[in-house]
Amino acid sequence: MKNLLEHTGIEPGRLHFSWVSSAESTKFVEVVKKITEEVKALNSNKAYAKTKPKVD
Amino acid sequence: MTAYTDKIREIAKRLLAEKKVDMVIGFRKGSLPLLHQPCMATSPEAADELVWDSCCSLNLANYLTDRKERIGIVAKGCDSRNIVTHILENKIKREQLYIIGVPCTGMIDRHKICAMFDSEITAVKEEGDSLTVSGDGFSKTLSKPEMLRDNCAACTHRNPVLYDEMVAEPVSEQTGVDPYASVKKIEALSPAEKQAYFDDLISTCIRCYACRNACPLCYCPTCFVDESRPQWVGKSQDPVDVKTFHILRAYHCAGRCTDCGACEAACPMGIKVREFTKKLNKDCLELYGWEAGLTLKQRPPLDTFKPNDPEEFIIRI
Amino acid sequence: MAENEPKILSFLCNWCSYGAADLAGVSRMEYPPNIRVIRIPCTGRMNPKFILAGLRQGADAVWVSG
Repeated sequence: MKNLLEHTGIEPGRLHFSWVSSAESTKFVEVVKKITEEVKALNSNKAYAKTKPKVD
Repeated sequence: MTAYTDKIREIAKRLLAEKKVDMVIGFRKGSLPLLHQPCMATSPEAADELVWDSCCSLNLANYLTDRKERIGIVAKGCDSRNIVTHILENKIKREQLYIIGVPCTGMIDRHKICAMFDSEITAVKEEGDSLTVSGDGFSKTLSKPEMLRDNCAACTHRNPVLYDEMVAEPVSEQTGVDPYASVKKIEALSPAEKQAYFDDLISTCIRCYACRNACPLCYCPTCFVDESRPQWVGKSQDPVDVKTFHILRAYHCAGRCTDCGACEAACPMGIKVREFTKKLNKDCLELYGWEAGLTLKQRPPLDTFKPNDPEEFIIRI
Repeated sequence: MAENEPKILSFLCNWCSYGAADLAGVSRMEYPPNIRVIRIPCTGRMNPKFILAGLRQGADAVWVSG
């Protein structure tokens, strides 16, 4: 159901889901690597991060 | 439309006189034209206040949550679907309700009409398919089908799905309309364009939460926007906070929204807030073949687990 | 932090991925240091508002793993 986030303009690579059993440490490491690669390909999160409010 | 009003009054009076129900929930004329108020009639005399025309855009299922009385309720197509959702979510019992079904030909869009005139509208008269809008020094006749709300213009469930008594013969359902046309248009955009589109859409939001209050699905004891320990959603006017609110509100309605349009009708700024919920409605239809509030016999897809539930979003290695 | 060192907020289920992460640590496996782990009792504890709150507070990505 996370399609809405992408629908409202968030890049597909910002949200990941996976399923790793507690015995699958190799799979865990691979998933971490894969996700890190994907996120590095994006710029840093600007659109959804709240910046400090401007005080005049 | 006067025929509907007369019939609704007649049924309401009969129910109240026979003490079959403790109150009848319907609409009465509001203090502003184009937007009728909900009305709870508790005596046959009070039932004379009930009206029905094309300004009944709010959703009356909103007033059923956790009620203990026996209630007669006037319900158009989308209201009846929300009543079904309420029954499924144990917010009201079917036995408590006497549903007065109203076949609906759509409600008019207040924002659209107000935008057409510079000065204030003081009176609206409806006859068949034409609306006569008048105010200080002007009067204009409009065609109702052109003035319908977006969700009514593309509605495919005009007749109540659940009722005890109908006030008129069912109307024919619309065919050949696409409720998700605007969603498809947005889906074709790139992430940056989508972002710009939604930023622009909600830029006028004043965080009044009228959309939440008008929504029959929003009955959490403490709404997520009111939580302060921990505070998940910022309360400021910051675009990020506003967007967080709208996205979360939409998620709360996932698989439950009947696209009744009450949120949009209630919005004082005329924001098309349905753009958020509609996407989830489309997903529900495509992924689970589900449209909310059509049956009492089946649990909603997000309540249940099936081994063949779609799981394309999970990373596979 | 350098521009290309993203922060990935990770919600890991106590019984599945958190166990896997623990095992990976015990086995001295190497993996990128970009993840920030939050242990949740079960993936059922997950809530859309966690994801949005995470992004709002500056995470570059969110990862939910059961």
